[in-house]
Amino acid sequence: MSQPPSHLSPALLTALADGELLSGFSADQLDAASQHLAACPACTSSALAEALLKSATAKAGQRYSPPPDLRERLAHLLAQESATTTLHTLPNQRPTRGFSLPVWAMAAALLLVALPAGLIERGTQRTAQRPAARTAALATEVIDQHIATLAANSPPQVVSTDRHTVKPWFQGKLPFSFNLPSDLPADITLDGANLTYLDNRPAAQLLYSIGKHRVSVFLRQGATPSGRSASTHFSAERSGFHVAGFTTPDLEAVAVSDVEPARLTDFTTRLELVQTPAANPPQ
Amino acid sequence: MTLLPWKRAARETAPQASVFEEFALPLLPALYNVAVWLSRNPSDAEDLVQETCLKALRGFSSFELGTNFKAWIFRILRNTYLTSRSGLAARRTVALEAELAEGEGLTVYPEAAIDRQTPEVNLLRLSDRAALQAAMEALAPPLLEVILLCDVEELKYKEIASVLDIPIGTVMSRIARARAALRASLQAATPQATTPLAAMLKAQPPREFRA
Repeated sequence: MSQPPSHLSPALLTALADGELLSGFSADQLDAASQHLAACPACTSSALAEALLKSATAKAGQRYSPPPDLRERLAHLLAQESATTTLHTLPNQRPTRGFSLPVWAMAAALLLVALPAGLIERGTQRTAQRPAARTAALATEVIDQHIATLAANSPPQVVSTDRHTVKPWFQGKLPFSFNLPSDLPADITLDGANLTYLDNRPAAQLLYSIGKHRVSVFLRQGATPSGRSASTHFSAERSGFHVAGFTTPDLEAVAVSDVEPARLTDFTTRLELVQTPAANPPQ
Repeated sequence: MTLLPWKRAARETAPQASVFEEFALPLLPALYNVAVWLSRNPSDAEDLVQETCLKALRGFSSFELGTNFKAWIFRILRNTYLTSRSGLAARRTVALEAELAEGEGLTVYPEAAIDRQTPEVNLLRLSDRAALQAAMEALAPPLLEVILLCDVEELKYKEIASVLDIPIGTVMSRIARARAALRASLQAATPQATTPLAAMLKAQPPREFRA
């Protein structure tokens, strides 16, 4: 067969200069191109010009250097950010430059306010295994993770509105299982889920929407598998977010959202109901 | 005493932050350079880099180790720029995406856009750094960003596609258009360019961009 003496296409010259010949060109095309290149001075010269343009652009593009103190300021900012995130400051309240002392002072002040808030319980009395500080720290961590999820650009690790897809996804990833409610009001939808960690223990983060409000529900294995038969409830409000949760002998659940508290509590109640085997026969 | 749980929690998140810093800080010069090119303003660029790093740190848990961190953080930089003041202004000033989309379907580039004669003057201009930088400044933002990612940051087509959220084919055609535009403005800037090609290119000056 005869090879038409066609010049290399602009696309091929571009890919050649970028070392990307393997993306988008067949072996035949590459063969024909290299034969042509060997015989055609014009194309060789074009290929050379393309390569020279690329390297000249690369040099000309290295134009601006960061101010000498930017690196240090940024490192400081990042350190502060990871500290303040733990101190449950909302993103829009975060300082953009270094305010080390006020942040800690504010944290201490918030702590005094937050601690009693974390203590509101509607069920049985507190026990030694669940002191106030632990509840408060848990609420903080849950709010942080929820905010981080809202801030992240990426989709959840499993994206599905179908609870029969989301629940099995956790098989082999979590040392426990759970049930998801089926008969939810029309404006509550499942968006997906993430595998995450709470207090160094694996947890499921289920992402729901109530209307336009995003909800994160964290489920993890109960800390006290036996001993207590009755479940406990708790709820708290902090930084504009509501936290509601319950504890069964096998499971700890915490939901966080900026939706109104009554709707969140209604939602966690529905979630709690399906965790008991009697209410939810095995499928 | 009541502060103890908080302190412990702060220490626990510290390793993640330091891992993030190990990833992000070496890329600081690159992020800053691209940020100034895009925003055309050092102080906007500084804000842009800071915001990018904070967003990236907050979202770091969603970054999968082993995948390309550079492409990931440039994607955040680019999205942050698009929603920033200067990014929004740039998009308002010129309806570039629409304008570009018209030609995007064309896989065949006008043959004349490749200068087969390669005049010496063109090669000479390449060594003129200022002229090339002026030519880059004159590029439409979608062409400039693709050139920055491809030539300056040396990302692969696949990575550029994920940063810009466009198909690889579009990446390739944008790069070809960007290089053709650079060649055109280098020649247009040369007074003695009297070849028919240069005349043709002069008749169609590259798109102006004003932030």
